Amino acid sequence: MSAVDDVLASSRAGELRRAARALLRRPLVRASGPEAEAFVLIRRHAATLREWFDRNTGWALIVEADLARLVKYTSHTDDPTYPAREARSKPPFTRRRYVLTCLALATLDRAETQITLGRLAEQIVLGAGDPDLVAAGMTFTLEGRDERSDLVAVVRLLLDLGVLSRVAGDEDAFVKDTGDVLYDVHRRVLAGLLATPRGPSTVATEASETFEDRISALTAETPATTDDLRNRRIRHHLTRRLLDEPVLYYDELDEAERTYLSGQRTAITTRITELTGLVAETRAEGIAMVDPFDDLTDVRMPETGTEGHATLLLADHLARSTESPVPLERLHRHVREQADAHRSYWRRDAAEPGAEVGLTTAALDRLEALRLISRDAETVTALPALARYALAEPTVHSPQERP
Amino acid sequence: MDQDFGTFAHLTSPKAALYRDIMATFLKAKRRFTVHLRPEDVDEELDNGPDVSVIAGALAQLVEWGNLRADPDTSRVTTVEDFHRARFLYQLTRHGEATEQALTTYDEALGRRGALQAVALTDITDRLRGLLALAGEPDPDPAKVHLLLDSLVGRFRDLADNAQAFMRSLQRTIDLHDTDADTFRAYKDRLIDYLERFIKDLVSTGAEIAGLVESLENADVGQLLEIAARREAEDAAPGADDNDTEDSDPRRDAFERGRVLWQERWQGFRAWFVSDQHHPSQAKLLRNQARAAIPQLLQVVAALNERRAGRSDRTADFRTLARWFAQSPDEASLHRLWRSAFGLSSARHLTADPEQDGAVASSTPWASAPPLSISPRLRKTGSYERRGKPNRVLDRSEQRRYLADLAAKEAAETAAARAALVTSHPTRLSDIATLEPGAFQLFLGLLGDALAARTPGADTVRTSTSDGSMAIRLRVLDGPGEAEIHTPHGVLRGPDFLVEITDLTTRDETEARSA
Repeated sequence: MSAVDDVLASSRAGELRRAARALLRRPLVRASGPEAEAFVLIRRHAATLREWFDRNTGWALIVEADLARLVKYTSHTDDPTYPAREARSKPPFTRRRYVLTCLALATLDRAETQITLGRLAEQIVLGAGDPDLVAAGMTFTLEGRDERSDLVAVVRLLLDLGVLSRVAGDEDAFVKDTGDVLYDVHRRVLAGLLATPRGPSTVATEASETFEDRISALTAETPATTDDLRNRRIRHHLTRRLLDEPVLYYDELDEAERTYLSGQRTAITTRITELTGLVAETRAEGIAMVDPFDDLTDVRMPETGTEGHATLLLADHLARSTESPVPLERLHRHVREQADAHRSYWRRDAAEPGAEVGLTTAALDRLEALRLISRDAETVTALPALARYALAEPTVHSPQERP
Repeated sequence: MDQDFGTFAHLTSPKAALYRDIMATFLKAKRRFTVHLRPEDVDEELDNGPDVSVIAGALAQLVEWGNLRADPDTSRVTTVEDFHRARFLYQLTRHGEATEQALTTYDEALGRRGALQAVALTDITDRLRGLLALAGEPDPDPAKVHLLLDSLVGRFRDLADNAQAFMRSLQRTIDLHDTDADTFRAYKDRLIDYLERFIKDLVSTGAEIAGLVESLENADVGQLLEIAARREAEDAAPGADDNDTEDSDPRRDAFERGRVLWQERWQGFRAWFVSDQHHPSQAKLLRNQARAAIPQLLQVVAALNERRAGRSDRTADFRTLARWFAQSPDEASLHRLWRSAFGLSSARHLTADPEQDGAVASSTPWASAPPLSISPRLRKTGSYERRGKPNRVLDRSEQRRYLADLAAKEAAETAAARAALVTSHPTRLSDIATLEPGAFQLFLGLLGDALAARTPGADTVRTSTSDGSMAIRLRVLDGPGEAEIHTPHGVLRGPDFLVEITDLTTRDETEARSA
């Protein structure tokens, strides 16, 4: 093996890693647009990636001429911290926006290759007339300004996903009712949007009386019939969670999974590390695949800015009181104090009376998304991994003391 | 009843279907040369028809509208009831028949699928060959010519009509793909085969036809057309206005009309198969259209396939999801459903501490493991300190000094060279005698400029260097004389001149001189 071969092999491994990380961050990568570079890598390593994901997670990787889609079956249907957003940091989608998204997709599926926002809106208004939707209290007539901006938020999400691309016009004009927008419809992207083992429309109505029935019917995979298959299923399940979620706590696993994991832990985490560069932080309570490169995530911690800082300080505070649930009141008070103490660094309105409630909620949302706390209406409970953020008082070395 | 179109009335009545069936029966009978029908005959013809009495009522109604005529039925009967019943024989009226014809045409026009006729192309070629053969004869048989032309026109009209209908129906098929996907998918293979075959025929036979058209025109097709027109005109009846003289022979008029008509037909025919510079032939257009239809069809197929790529109907899936979202119990379930159904969320991970060594036993609880080390500045202010040291700014003063020295030295040398050259008064070249290399370089440049600027015959020349820093005045000396200038590199020899060199950069001197 010559030095050149070494370099080539390492650059190949690096490329593979970048491709895998791009897919995990955005499971739908388009050939054009901001991820074009990642797409090239994904295409180049498609065979390897496809095999890896298929073997270890059971996720299908579809690579076509113009897009790559990692069909990520969810590892965890109970987690409400992965909402759709118009763009990062915008508020999560509301019920109406979700419904509109689905109606828009249904419309676009039948649409020609181009459509205007006005036409799309008409069709959605028609679709919203579905008696079931009306009965569920859904109204959409496109009359109010808020309805228009809901529609535009949906369209922006579709633009971001690449289902639509803008040809002419802009959405702001539509909100003000002064103009229309023309889009190209990319059916191939649309075709790859749903990621469920079963089509929702094939779930029989009697089997989907309640929401829980529906969501489990939607995500149910065919039962494993042999021991081999069962083990494979367990491996998929564990790898999915480790690969996609911040922390895996052992007490969330069932007996079979725990047994399998105790035997295969190193094998599984090593494979993940090889592919993605994530490093296993194994502790008594569970495993966190942490990211030394700090970008394979949609929620950062620590993060800069007022909310990021508040989150960090709150995490520190909570980490010191691990044993019992902490009442929300106390956290509000704590954030209030911190806001006063950091008045000069924080956003100006953070020190206003009442601002601590919003700040606390935002901070807790982040901590919950990172699986560092659990909460109910009144209290917050620290989860073990939060102890990572129990920060010692910083010891500041003077330059001479540095090793 | 003459002009009020009452015979169309049955179309808008509630029982239109029955009336039309009955009328169809009469047409059918007429094709078999049967003139009269009894209600019983009609009933027999209609499958699953209504009761005879209903039919009799309908027939009476049709008589009233004028579609049928009723004549008393005088045939012998076998029962008393029949004898007492008013009995009629029905037959089509002229109006009724015309109405039915119109309706048939209407149905055909709408229902016509259209066909591209490869066979017609072959027929047309045959006729043209026949015509070409006749054109070669000194005295062609008018009957043959006329028949050939007539059948050519007939076949051609068929072809053109059919092509038009076909393209229309094709477009409709493509447009309507939404409604009947399965039929369309089954149909498209055959359709594409058909189109391909037709295009091939059109290319090969079309080219042959175009060739024949050209040959015929060279062989004076006009004459053949006239023969046909004359033959048609022979049948023209004498004018009805009865003022025919020798000049206004009706046959002559008919012949003229016929000739123009035949020529128009020929031109149309020609335009169909032969392209000229500005107008591509119809055949070519048709070919293009048929060819364009194939990718269009394939697009439709692709769209259908895309739509079917999933195991379920995607539109229905989205609608179902819309309903589920609308019926979700709370906000959290909305987000759960979104993630479960679409799987578009990013992976999410905690940050590692690159400096931390991983030597923590896997049985250590998180609480006992060393916590993450976080930048004190971030902890204090919520923003990061600058990471790492900025690049040290390189000190380049030494290089800069070297360059400055170099520049200064050069400037000094140039100045010295200039100073050495500058003459306070006109000087003979031979008096200069020696020059340093720098000054000599400068001097050669000046001398070159001056000699180049010198016009033949003039004995004085004045010029300046291109950078405008020095001026030279050169005067030719009378009589022979050779100047020698010695430099460390050699000796320059040449004719002697009187030179005056001025340094224009030193302003004072210039001013002093001009003063």
